Amino acid sequence: MKELIFSFVGSFSAGIIFNVAAKKLIWIGFSGAIGWIVYSLLYSSAGSLIFSTFAGAIAVGIYSESMARLVKSPSTIFSIPGIFPLVPGITAYTTVQYMVENNLSGAASKAVETAASAGAIAFGIMIIYGLFRLVHKINSRRKKSINYPK
Amino acid sequence: MDVKQLCEVALKAGEILLVSGAEIYRVEDTVTRICRSYNVEADCFVMPTGIFITVFGSNREPISVVRRVKARTVDLSRIEKVNSFSRSLIINPVTYEEAVKTLNGIRRTKRYHFLLRLFAAGITAFSFTILFKGNERDALAAFLISMFIYFVNEKISQTGMFYFFEFFISGVIAGMGSLLAVRLFPGLNLYRIIIGAIMILVPGVAITNAIKDALNGDIASSTFRMAEAIFIAAAVGAGVSIALYVGFNNL
Repeated sequence: MKELIFSFVGSFSAGIIFNVAAKKLIWIGFSGAIGWIVYSLLYSSAGSLIFSTFAGAIAVGIYSESMARLVKSPSTIFSIPGIFPLVPGITAYTTVQYMVENNLSGAASKAVETAASAGAIAFGIMIIYGLFRLVHKINSRRKKSINYPK
Repeated sequence: MDVKQLCEVALKAGEILLVSGAEIYRVEDTVTRICRSYNVEADCFVMPTGIFITVFGSNREPISVVRRVKARTVDLSRIEKVNSFSRSLIINPVTYEEAVKTLNGIRRTKRYHFLLRLFAAGITAFSFTILFKGNERDALAAFLISMFIYFVNEKISQTGMFYFFEFFISGVIAGMGSLLAVRLFPGLNLYRIIIGAIMILVPGVAITNAIKDALNGDIASSTFRMAEAIFIAAAVGAGVSIALYVGFNNL
């Protein structure tokens, strides 16, 4: 519950720094909370960092693409602050920290972890983006109307 | 609107998007969509540091424009506005004057008040210290340090020093501040305060966006953004490490 609140608040305030319009900030808070909850539930039960991050990104992706259609704005608005709790910024920092401490094997493992979780997040978001576009294309072809996807 | 004016409008829209941190494919999409709304064929090549557009005039005479883009921030509300503007052109192609007026309005979109952003930076640090298993006292220290970092960062970027200097100095402040907090109030966790405080600096989103660009096939911009992210991480990390090294030896 505590994590739920703080992941909500964390994404919400990140949204302020990224200059999201005030009436959409609340939806951004939910985006971050959903991603973090999926991630932390899976991480505590399955224990695989990369897989849980991937699942969290999928959740954020589904949420952002659906919200993009409901609120009529680009999905990036919701996904960038939404993945903010998941992105491996701290891992990237730790890599450099280990290098300075001359712990090169630690640095190497952290660097791989950074690349892997960034890849997992990007892949998760893009898969959902692609799926939604595909569904949209099939739908609009059926309707035979010109309808530009978000 | 003639082809040259259209070129200017498309370039302006693309520039706002790129400066606000939009993905490459979105910039290219928007530029070609704007030109298509006026039934003009356009080719567009976007790098994170510049935009190249070529359009063909009525007598198949090509016109090219290049715009160098230097500033890079994240401003999601401007991305959203340009996006909806470019979509509205398909239904309602406005005149040149109107389009320029709208785009200038978008460019002048205000950010939140500085104090609110400062507070938001602090709250971000507070939340993430808790999420990274710190306690409330660690979070409070990170809250204060992060606000100070954001303040200094803003001041340095106004003076126009080189890009990575901001991140280095911020890292130094994070390291010094956390050390100071731990010395003043024993029992705080140094590592958790640091990672909470630098949460607003570290390039997590940049790395992820770089990979998103790669998955879209924009390999050149992906490499560019990845390099940028690595340098930011290195600058922040070097700042923190130097602060800790000096601090541990002299305090």
